[in-house]
Amino acid sequence: MAVDLARKNLLHDKLRFFITVMGVAFAVTLVFVQVGLFLGLLSNATVVIEHVNADLWITSKNTPNIDFSHTFPESYVERVKSVPGVANAENLILAFMQVSLPSGAQEGVEIYALKNFHDWNLPWNYSGNVDDLRRGPYFMLDDSAVKRFGPFEVGDYREILDNRMQVIGKTHGALSFTTTPLAFMEFDRMQAFSPTTLRNRTSYILVKVAPGADIEQVRREIQSRLPFNDVWTSKEWAARSRNYWVQSTGLGLNMILTVFLGILVGVVVVAQTLYTSTMEHLKEFGTVKAIGGSNGDIYKILAEQAVISAIAGFAVGSAFAYGLKPLMAKVALHLIIPQAFLGVVLIGTVAMCLAASMLSFRKIASLDPALVFRA
Amino acid sequence: MQLRSHKSFFSSLAQPALPPHEARKCPLLRLHHRDVVAAAETTTAVLAARDITKTFREGAEEVSVLKGVSMELHPGEIVALEGPSGSGKTTLLSILGCILTPSDGELVIAGQTVDRERPEKLPAIRKQSIGFVFQQFNLFPALTAVENVEYALNVKGVAGRDARTEAERVLEAVGLAERKHFLPRDMSGGQKQRVAVARALAGRPPILLADEPTANLDSHVGMQVLEMFRDLAKQENRALLIVTHDPKVRTVSDRVLHIQDGRLV
Repeated sequence: MAVDLARKNLLHDKLRFFITVMGVAFAVTLVFVQVGLFLGLLSNATVVIEHVNADLWITSKNTPNIDFSHTFPESYVERVKSVPGVANAENLILAFMQVSLPSGAQEGVEIYALKNFHDWNLPWNYSGNVDDLRRGPYFMLDDSAVKRFGPFEVGDYREILDNRMQVIGKTHGALSFTTTPLAFMEFDRMQAFSPTTLRNRTSYILVKVAPGADIEQVRREIQSRLPFNDVWTSKEWAARSRNYWVQSTGLGLNMILTVFLGILVGVVVVAQTLYTSTMEHLKEFGTVKAIGGSNGDIYKILAEQAVISAIAGFAVGSAFAYGLKPLMAKVALHLIIPQAFLGVVLIGTVAMCLAASMLSFRKIASLDPALVFRA
Repeated sequence: MQLRSHKSFFSSLAQPALPPHEARKCPLLRLHHRDVVAAAETTTAVLAARDITKTFREGAEEVSVLKGVSMELHPGEIVALEGPSGSGKTTLLSILGCILTPSDGELVIAGQTVDRERPEKLPAIRKQSIGFVFQQFNLFPALTAVENVEYALNVKGVAGRDARTEAERVLEAVGLAERKHFLPRDMSGGQKQRVAVARALAGRPPILLADEPTANLDSHVGMQVLEMFRDLAKQENRALLIVTHDPKVRTVSDRVLHIQDGRLV
């Protein structure tokens, strides 16, 4: 076992080490929070698609994402049902409507309307009886609506497009990228609310493929029968919805910039503290050279210090980010930190700190060991 | 003392390893300096420098700091190198310690000729053959006494239990066995310099080079350190060159070299 000069030097100046670790931790936290929030928002964008029990989604041509639907004739569903390999197909309306609140204010709500909610696992997490939706002027509202609509309970009434509707259940976790609250209503009632735009029309057709049928083949067949629509697998539709928000809104670029800034802050802090530390230990490094150590020996010391700072900073930064998760959840912000992303950030942090330490390498390369003779 | 009063270059070469009464009748004194060096090479010189020059470039000008220095060090020999500021002492020490390469001349360290065209080879020679003691001690503040010595051994390629045993041996030799776990900040100047001496001795390099080892010590402690250093060098048969302004160093030296304007005088 050799004497670990790198670690001992690093820990000898505890304040400097603390500052370095905090700098790295700040960068790591920033990256986790930014990316985590972004992933959280993206998961909101596709949470319905991922829960609906459909293999294929039929949309109007060039619909960019699930929230921006356009209608097409509801009778198309009959053509779909006649395609060999289709086990079930049903119209789904998605429409934005206005809700009048007890305060007198109006807020938007995004309503999903189906005939057979059970068949499609929609909603997937709720209280109340989803079959009751077809028995009268009822709807279910996601509990995340509290933030915008104020407190509400099952049994309360709200007006949707001047129609008095009773809340008969609460759903949980049904969210949208736009943060507009989601509600669930019976299909025919929904069409009746907005006859000019929705009569005999639908936003989507959900398709369940029969067991053993080739999804691709079924998709091709539907596409040939509905040439003016798009047919997506659930996975493709989710990806398309996500990509829309990432690419078309500048949010992706914004996230990349923030992550870049986080990394830049980390690099600057680590480079600055390691460089200052190197300058302060120059005579010691000169001594290492004088007693026979090479530049490589000193590079190893600096690299080890960078790696230690990176790992410590990563641990503190991750702990901060995980600590923020429940706090952010309280304000309906979902921080998603996938396991694989943890690994990516750890590797990135180590690379970032090693890159920062290279600023000191140049100083060491030109270090004259004769400085040890200077008083 | 007579030897130290010699002014000629050749006499300074003739001084090594010879007691004064023998030096007086030394036939080498009457020889050309090349013959002296050649004769010395046939003996057991562990360090031999021949016609060493060093020129630095300062802007457009070239400054010649060493102008043909020749000298030898033999095992068990203690040599003091004196000279005024700017005389070239530190440059000579840097070259003898393989920290700098000479501009011209030949340097042989422990039988190995230093190739001045290949400075990348110098660290290996330093590692193998040279132990340094510095004026400012230059201990690693984050390491304890034993770790300071052990780290130097690690750099030399000795690790693990061997390094620890050797580090403890030399610390015991300099009388610091009880303080081996102290950090430099908790030691006096004399103790720090003893650790530095122990570090230089560790790994048994044949050549020890000390730069003003008593400059930061009070007179009494400085003398103690010098005597200890001399005794250990003699006991372990190391060649010791001490660059100094301190007259006390003469009392522990076998001979004294004087450098002025880049030449041994």
